[in-house]
Amino acid sequence: MAVFIVRRLIVSFFVLLAATFLMYVLTANAGNPLEDLFALPAATREARIEARVDRLDLNVPVPQRYLMWLAGVGSCVVPFAACDLGLNRDGQEVSELLSQALASTMQLVVTASVLAIIFGITVGIVSALRQYSGFDYTITFTSFLFFSLPIFWVAVLLKQYGAIRLNDWLAEPTISWPVLIALSVLSGLFWMAVVGGDRRRRRLVTFGVAAVATAGVLAYLSAVQWFRFPALGVGLVLVVGVGAALAATALTSGLGRRRVLYAALAAGALGAVVYYPIQPLLDVATWGTIGILAVVVLGVSGAIGAAVGGAVDRSQAIRAAMLAGFAAAFAVFVDRVLVGFSDYFSRTAGRPVSTIGSNTPRFSGNFWQVFLDTQLHLILPTAALILISFAQYTRYTRASMLETMGQDYVRTARSKGLTERTVVMRHAFRNALIPVTTLMAFDFAGIVGGAVITEQVFGWRGMGTLFIQGLRDVDPNPVMAFFIVTGAAIVVFNMIADILYAYLDPRIRLS
Amino acid sequence: MSQQPGENIPDERISPHGADPDADDQGLTIKARTQSELVRRRFLRHRGALGGIAVFVFIVLLAFSSIGFAGIPGWWGQSYLSTGVVVDGGRPTLDVLPSFLDGDGVGFGAHPFGQDNVGKDYFANTMFGAQQSIVISIVVGLTATAIGTVIGAFAGYFRGWVESVLMRFTDVMITIPVLVIGAVLGRTFGDRGILVLAVVLGAVTWTGLARLVRGEFLSLREKEFVEAARAVGASSNRIIFRHILPNTLGVIIVSATLAIATAILLETALSYLGFGVQPPATSLGQLISQYQSAFLTRPWLFWWPGLFIVAIALSVNFIGDGLRDAFDPRQTRVRG
Amino acid sequence: MAGDRDESTTPTGDQAGVMRSRGWAATSDSIRPPSDDELLRVEDLTVRFPTEDGVVNAVRGVSYSLREREVLGIVGESGSGKSVSSMAIMGLLPKTARITGSIQFRGDDVLAMTASEQRALRGSKIAMIFQDPMTALNPVYSIGDQLAEAVRSHEAIPRKVAMRRAEEMLDLVGIPQPKQRVKAYPHEFSGGMRQRAMIAMAVINNPDVILADEPTTALDVTVQAQILEKLIEVKDAVNAAIVLITHDLGVVAGMAHRVLVMYAGRPVELGETDGVFYRPRMPYTAGLLGSIPSLESGKARPLRPITGSPPSLINLPTGCPFNPRCPLATDECRQTEPPLDETDDHDHRAACHHWQRMADADDPTAFFRTESEAAR
Repeated sequence: MAVFIVRRLIVSFFVLLAATFLMYVLTANAGNPLEDLFALPAATREARIEARVDRLDLNVPVPQRYLMWLAGVGSCVVPFAACDLGLNRDGQEVSELLSQALASTMQLVVTASVLAIIFGITVGIVSALRQYSGFDYTITFTSFLFFSLPIFWVAVLLKQYGAIRLNDWLAEPTISWPVLIALSVLSGLFWMAVVGGDRRRRRLVTFGVAAVATAGVLAYLSAVQWFRFPALGVGLVLVVGVGAALAATALTSGLGRRRVLYAALAAGALGAVVYYPIQPLLDVATWGTIGILAVVVLGVSGAIGAAVGGAVDRSQAIRAAMLAGFAAAFAVFVDRVLVGFSDYFSRTAGRPVSTIGSNTPRFSGNFWQVFLDTQLHLILPTAALILISFAQYTRYTRASMLETMGQDYVRTARSKGLTERTVVMRHAFRNALIPVTTLMAFDFAGIVGGAVITEQVFGWRGMGTLFIQGLRDVDPNPVMAFFIVTGAAIVVFNMIADILYAYLDPRIRLS
Repeated sequence: MSQQPGENIPDERISPHGADPDADDQGLTIKARTQSELVRRRFLRHRGALGGIAVFVFIVLLAFSSIGFAGIPGWWGQSYLSTGVVVDGGRPTLDVLPSFLDGDGVGFGAHPFGQDNVGKDYFANTMFGAQQSIVISIVVGLTATAIGTVIGAFAGYFRGWVESVLMRFTDVMITIPVLVIGAVLGRTFGDRGILVLAVVLGAVTWTGLARLVRGEFLSLREKEFVEAARAVGASSNRIIFRHILPNTLGVIIVSATLAIATAILLETALSYLGFGVQPPATSLGQLISQYQSAFLTRPWLFWWPGLFIVAIALSVNFIGDGLRDAFDPRQTRVRG
Repeated sequence: MAGDRDESTTPTGDQAGVMRSRGWAATSDSIRPPSDDELLRVEDLTVRFPTEDGVVNAVRGVSYSLREREVLGIVGESGSGKSVSSMAIMGLLPKTARITGSIQFRGDDVLAMTASEQRALRGSKIAMIFQDPMTALNPVYSIGDQLAEAVRSHEAIPRKVAMRRAEEMLDLVGIPQPKQRVKAYPHEFSGGMRQRAMIAMAVINNPDVILADEPTTALDVTVQAQILEKLIEVKDAVNAAIVLITHDLGVVAGMAHRVLVMYAGRPVELGETDGVFYRPRMPYTAGLLGSIPSLESGKARPLRPITGSPPSLINLPTGCPFNPRCPLATDECRQTEPPLDETDDHDHRAACHHWQRMADADDPTAFFRTESEAAR
């Protein structure tokens, strides 16, 4: 395995090197870098041209200039040496521009990828398991629609309707009756399609329960102005924990396994138990403490699972308890973020969902406020960016799942008398994931491309701007700074996909 | 790792030979039909694909017949170039609400898609943009298919150093996001006319197809009929183009179709960023880009080209899906 | 029974020689005899699949019973419904299948059971071995995992205990070094080893019935005999009965107590193995026997193949489904489908209007003489 990774790393390095050369040469020849100066009055023209030629070494042949650039980049990997990515046309240090742009863009790209993977794969599985159902047809059509949407067009629409209308609504967040009924019916249809079943009665009951529950919840939330002062509170944290415990048990072993269920319930209740004691600690939270807390939660949940699970169900109990415990802890986290909303609402003059930039300029506050500020800036670009990837993952997972569900080993698994859940999750899904990992690398490159466009629409001063401005000016250094980072990220994602592939498929791992 | 993305994806893998293995197991003896007959039958049963064809043909006919093409005049009297008086703030006059539904009756009106701020007829503009976008995307699709097929075929057939060189080159291309390299090349060649731009874009979008075709060749070159051809002394070129290639036609046709849908979105995105079609030439993406600041005052300038892009891409995607189902014999459906 | 097996009285001694010459070590004599207790009873089982091209009549009116420790061979070409009928017993047919009739396991109707009752039966009381061991094992889990999983889905025992059981089973089916092999993945096993692992998986819960669907078809000829031998050995070790589905008459001849011959979804002949082989009462069976090449030195018998191909299960011919290929076919055969009725032979049923002509013939395979043979 180690040999495999190292070999893969070496190949990736040379591939990336070749790609940078290609990009550099193409960019340097994309136009005349002096074009904008020709319009200047003759008096200053010559001097300006000379200054730029001098600064960007335009009289050096392109391949040689590439080597000079490469030497500068090389200094980035040397310890204690300053990173030299060259100057841009106006003489600014590119590495400085990059450091400002890097964080926000990477956050956007990684968030979008992770969400697309999680949602796309989940929906793809359900769609495959309910092949030729209304849900399946709806998802199929929706994926095709998402494939066919120009990303900037969607982004502009989201900006108009998602942000501006949503902000208007948040000023007076009540849900009118027609909207409430429509949402309830939609929710009913959704759950009916997902839960499904062959019998008409069961479908109708599912529809009824889901629709009534949705209507009740929405009416309550609307009445207490929840959307204006959102929070979960200890009660909802407990509900989330118990719900997660049930779901985790159903997924890992089935509700019939009592010990697994008890372990998961105990871990799920943990969130509500520590809800009040933990608040003082959360007041002074940083990413460090959050990370430590997450590890502690997983450890404690795992220990509960190991203690309660007994000899027979130990590993499943540990898994279910960790899932439930993590979900409960996440609920506590979300609660804390939501509590800060009303304060944030007034600080942004009642326009919390932002359409411009990656954070509010000159915004300062504690960890929770800054986090909320970032998230509310991220939400729309991420939504726009996610559509195509979501559609890709859904289609691939669905096709892959249908393929594995028809395999002989799935029939063997059934013939052993395994439950349908074990057949689907352990045998079909695990195998269906193998080809999906190969999509990850491809798709990440697509998201990077999409991010360039989305950033443009939402006016982020991110890496996309670096690239576009650089390309417009035929200024290779900013373009290359953009590429060296995104190209490396793509290569890393490729590697992760390959390692995941090898992890999932013993035929690769052991050869 | 030699495992190439795409090879394992059932959706993308089409083997146009052999019958459904499951059908044999269950004793479903199917009447002998020729392969093309089967493909046609399956395609015609795909409702989405038929709808896609209908929409696509309609858009092509509308775009090319309305304002004419290559000097041939069309039935729509106005030019996309001529400015005029702005009527009613340039609002669209198209009315699809019949009079009994409280509308003014179904009719085109003088400017069905409205006008821009200097009174250009936006219908003519959109039609011209659609023509250009369709031409570009088809040329991109054809170029990408030709390059991808040749590279994939040679890599898959010859193996050894040929394969290494070609596939590493493909890896390099894949490391650069299509939009990024497309933008760089668009910046370089965008002002040389749409055909040059289209060929250039085709030259950067072939990677997926190359990998697919290579995968097909890798498995087909081991098949008995290839060995038979080799045994009678057929040349490599003959084996590649006469024996193996026809068997990969399904993969290629499906990929080519989907490449067209991808191309129209790519061209649109590049034009939006300013690295695609350069004025005075136009395209649907160029129109949106040009009028995006008018979104609040004249939203129709934003809506119409966008809707046409979505309609073209969606219909082509559905056609591609229908073709994929048709070429993939494992998709025999048992319905209850 | 011993009298029935006396070679000198058989008209088609030729075929018996074929079976012997194939060299199957196990013969029906060496298999422990069945008891009289009925284990499994299939009655008038019918399976249909609605498809876009029409309704596929995969199985039409199959009835048989299986006694404890008995080996029942089901023989037929692909598409004869032999696999589909056993999949119906396992409850593994796709949801679209329309199943009628009854399947009784120890007196309980399997088809009337709830999904979870059926599941409890699968793998514990009734187990199945599939044709292709290369694809029937999940490539991403170790052999031991897959065996232990079969135990743990029916018994609440810790993983370690289940793994030990898996080791014992691998040892039982003759896989060397089971302690190490239990950690191996399917791709590290040869075809024969995988099929041994499949057998181990099938018997790990001490089932009463093993449905073996072409267990040796995908294997090398040399390995086939070993696997069959092991199958019988293991069956006796766990006291199970076997339904052995195959298209290979040689396999059945060596192992089965009784044989059911199927054609186009119909049972066409059912009886004790020797009766069916030496005194076929249905032309299709005779045709199958005639199409086996004789290896007996000296007196080479010409091949007597069945002409034509099996009918479409969507558009079955009227009358006997075999009539278009049958040398004995008359107008009666083209109009009415014969029921599976008693014949002159002991406990031997056949679905043929002309079983009497078969009984009267010296060599029933002679009906299938080719023109060139007849001309000689």
